[in-house]
Amino acid sequence: MEDNVIQVEHLTKKFGSFTAVDDITFEVRKGEIFGFLGANGAGKTTAMKMLTGLSFPTSGKGMVAGYDIWTQSELIKKNIGYMSQKFALYSDLTVRDNIGIFGGIYGMKRADVRRRATELMERLGFMSEKDVRVKELPQGWKQKLAFLVAVIHNPRILFLDEPTGGVDPAARRQFWELIYDVVDSGITAFVTTHYMDEAEYCSRISMMVDGRIEALGSPAELKSEFGAGSIADVFDILARGAKRSE
Amino acid sequence: MAAFGYLIVKEMKQFNSNRFMPFVLVLLPVVLMLFVPLLANMEIRNVRLMIVDHDRSTTSALLTDRIAQSEYFRFAGYCDTYSGAVDEMGMGHTDIIMEIPAGMERDIGRGEQVEIFIAANAVNSTKGSIGGGYLSSIITDFSEELAAGLYAPDAPVQASGQESSGAGAALSGDVIGGGATMPLTVSPQFRYNPHLDYKLFMVPAMMIVVIILIGGFFATMSIVSEKEAGTIEQINVTPVRKRDFISSKVVFYGILGLIAFTLAFLIGHFVYGLAPHGGLPELYVGAVLFLVFMAGFGLIISNYSDTLLQSVFLMLFFVLIFMLMSGIFTPVSSMETWAQYLTYFLPTTYFVNILRAVCLKGSQFSDLTFNYIMLSVFAVLINVIAIVTYKKQR
Repeated sequence: MEDNVIQVEHLTKKFGSFTAVDDITFEVRKGEIFGFLGANGAGKTTAMKMLTGLSFPTSGKGMVAGYDIWTQSELIKKNIGYMSQKFALYSDLTVRDNIGIFGGIYGMKRADVRRRATELMERLGFMSEKDVRVKELPQGWKQKLAFLVAVIHNPRILFLDEPTGGVDPAARRQFWELIYDVVDSGITAFVTTHYMDEAEYCSRISMMVDGRIEALGSPAELKSEFGAGSIADVFDILARGAKRSE
Repeated sequence: MAAFGYLIVKEMKQFNSNRFMPFVLVLLPVVLMLFVPLLANMEIRNVRLMIVDHDRSTTSALLTDRIAQSEYFRFAGYCDTYSGAVDEMGMGHTDIIMEIPAGMERDIGRGEQVEIFIAANAVNSTKGSIGGGYLSSIITDFSEELAAGLYAPDAPVQASGQESSGAGAALSGDVIGGGATMPLTVSPQFRYNPHLDYKLFMVPAMMIVVIILIGGFFATMSIVSEKEAGTIEQINVTPVRKRDFISSKVVFYGILGLIAFTLAFLIGHFVYGLAPHGGLPELYVGAVLFLVFMAGFGLIISNYSDTLLQSVFLMLFFVLIFMLMSGIFTPVSSMETWAQYLTYFLPTTYFVNILRAVCLKGSQFSDLTFNYIMLSVFAVLINVIAIVTYKKQR
């Protein structure tokens, strides 16, 4: 229990008569990369919004970073980084301004922001672009910047909502290297994706179909459990019963 | 620097990188202040007048000339019969009919009282009543001049009757005056705006409109556009306190509003001669309180809107009520009683009172305590509501 940074029991979210997330139970261990897989519309983003304190569950319990998602969401927010599926930084400001403002909002000292930003921008190859307005950056770069801002304050848990959406395969590999980097520094990563090949990069994965978690385990465990050659095959087997589609 | 400071810096940088907003900030007060007071003028000119002259005498020609000298009237022609003229009015060819009775000159010569009939089209009630008023005062002047013997040898007086009615043409006439000379004359003295200059009434009104538009709309639009761009999600997922986020918007858009208000005030001062007779602190304390209210109000609207379109329509709805019911354009005292009670709930009313009293009457804090207190109460209350209704977690 001590090692679980996220612990969720019977979490449900309904929008009217539509059940977006249907009674999910899982835990995420400290220091792992937890892959949250599912088709578009399976309820991944809705589940993540409940964990990041953006939305209240309809029912169920959840602890993130040791705090209750019902009552302590502002404490959770101090300990997490979040990268939205839709680019959510200020596109009319420069790279440097975005980093400075979010670092400041997280209560970091100016010098700390500068040091950490320089370190991250060098790692991501951003130094020459630091005074460029964000809207002028290509999509892949925007996503790298969103990632940078999500980890600027050294969160305990990093939530990434489809971080590789709309990014070319080579850049996707690079992105996963970045994720590995921050996980090596002790951050736990919670990643949603609908690219099944990316599941192989994760320590453990959950497979979501129609708002329910249908499978949970390490990639190797799931493949043997379903007798499939790849995670994509596992998904195909599970998705046959799916009713929702885009 | 706390989160609040970073949020203010963020607003500033966003504002600077925007090409449109700084332009609007300057253009809006300039256009409103320079043009609207000149255009929204209650003075009526070019009232079309049709004359039905049954007398056809020297005196009636003199009277006609006298009216022609006035810049307010334009001749729409003569008509032989009153009913013919009413038909013309019905077709929209004339605004006022003046009927001169047969034998006017003769009756005046005998020193008898004469009735001149005026019918005004009151479909446009302002034009009708004010035009009718102008005309009757010209006739009164003319009668005095006749009495004083300025024109012909015949000295007596002339009286005028006037009545305007609703839709379409008018009926009925009434006798006013008579006798050899005016026994009593009223000479009103208008205090604080001695020349009844409509501009002095409109200029403060436009300064209020500037605050409503800049303080209220800018604040609303800034949050809703964060919603549309999705950036609010990145803010909501940080531990930023709601009051820091809301107050950063109120302070920043409050400052923008003050800049626009100052610009409007300077134009009011140098172009229209408006002066803060009661004192600048009186003016600015009122403006700051009202700006804080408007920004807070705009933020509440944005908390309940998902799109820019939605928020702008909602704002427009309330702003129209604020403007029409608070005495900016029409006096509160002439509203229905229930509406007058309602104005106590419109903070705009208090600021209108403050602005007019400070600029025109020279009132000071001690004269306007109630207004300042009410404005402060509303400013605080509305911002508390803005913070409470802003939801980081839905």
